[in-house]
Amino acid sequence: MPVDPEEERILRLWTPVLLRVILVAAVVLMALGTGLTLFVARDHVDPATFRHPVSVRVPLLTVLSEGIRGNANAIATLGLMVLTLVPLVRVALCFLLFLKERSGIFAAFTAYVLAGLIAGILLGRIG
Amino acid sequence: MLELTGALLALAAGAGFAGALSGLGGGAFLVPALVVLVGLPMQAAIGASLLAVVATSAGASVAFVRDGWTNLRVAIVLECATVTGAIAGAWLAGMVSPALLEALFALVMLQSAYFSMRKRDSDVLPASDRLCERLELGGEFPGDSGEPVRYGVSNLPGGSAIMVLAGVMSGLLGIGSGALKVIAMDQVMGLPLKVSSATSNFMIGVTAGAGALVFLSRGDVVPMVAAPVALGVTAGAIAGSKLLPYADVRWLRAGFVVILVLVAAEMGWRAFGGV
Repeated sequence: MPVDPEEERILRLWTPVLLRVILVAAVVLMALGTGLTLFVARDHVDPATFRHPVSVRVPLLTVLSEGIRGNANAIATLGLMVLTLVPLVRVALCFLLFLKERSGIFAAFTAYVLAGLIAGILLGRIG
Repeated sequence: MLELTGALLALAAGAGFAGALSGLGGGAFLVPALVVLVGLPMQAAIGASLLAVVATSAGASVAFVRDGWTNLRVAIVLECATVTGAIAGAWLAGMVSPALLEALFALVMLQSAYFSMRKRDSDVLPASDRLCERLELGGEFPGDSGEPVRYGVSNLPGGSAIMVLAGVMSGLLGIGSGALKVIAMDQVMGLPLKVSSATSNFMIGVTAGAGALVFLSRGDVVPMVAAPVALGVTAGAIAGSKLLPYADVRWLRAGFVVILVLVAAEMGWRAFGGV
């Protein structure tokens, strides 16, 4: 079907801008976390965790506060978390688009995908 | 520590570069590189790879959407299937044995090698079937003469079934499953090849994102592995996509088929007790 002007505006303007901002923020945080570990705070990471990783569930608020304090591992974790916003924002923008088009069935499909992504977080927490 | 991070960055950059040149994405090369060369456990490699796939797909799909090749409606309908599969796959990845994951990976590599060798044509379906017509899934793409070319879509249930499998493989093995997605759209649903590739590119990040969120919230991602890997893959993928227009695709494809078969043999060997 032909692309209408509203779809055009959201796809051409908002999607690339938002995705790039998120991606750049994620890259900066990941690079900062990696750089700090290598050159400043080597004791924040045990090298053994590279080859024998163990599951560590850290609450988001702890990651945030540790990141603000300059913990290299927490900063890299924040970068990875910001990176996962890319698919979430992309789907959320599609949801907005279909709502604007008053396309109920596609808004419902998109809401299912969004719910699936959020369910993934919950499943990881319990599983 | 410095050597390990350097090795991760270099391997990830190589995987991203190869993934961009081959069109298979970084995951296909990244997971075996991390497992075989760095000695990471399969699960840790999968978690890092899923996040790397999210990073690389973010930039690529924007251009396709902008240029009018992506069928957003088809992508969203099929994402319902892939996201469901990816969450199930990522959940299962925490339970199944590494040997089974390696055996599955070997099979998927062979399927990707076959997909790379296959001769592809690009027929355009003139009209959609009843269900796809009702959902208005058909679309148009920019033709050679500048005039838009209309195409239809068919067999949504068949395509969705393969997409569930593609999602499970993505979450289970840390790959984008792009080859399987293109087969579902191109061969089963009758979409033109370039539309299938662009739509698959758009979908890969969301599918991998679903699996990555499970791994990340389960605590199965080692930040000091995943962060340099994501950075390296992104840099490699950018370099690969810049070089692609100047590369001889025929020879590249043949080379990558050989690499994929070797990777499949190595992973199969490990799965059946070789290591």
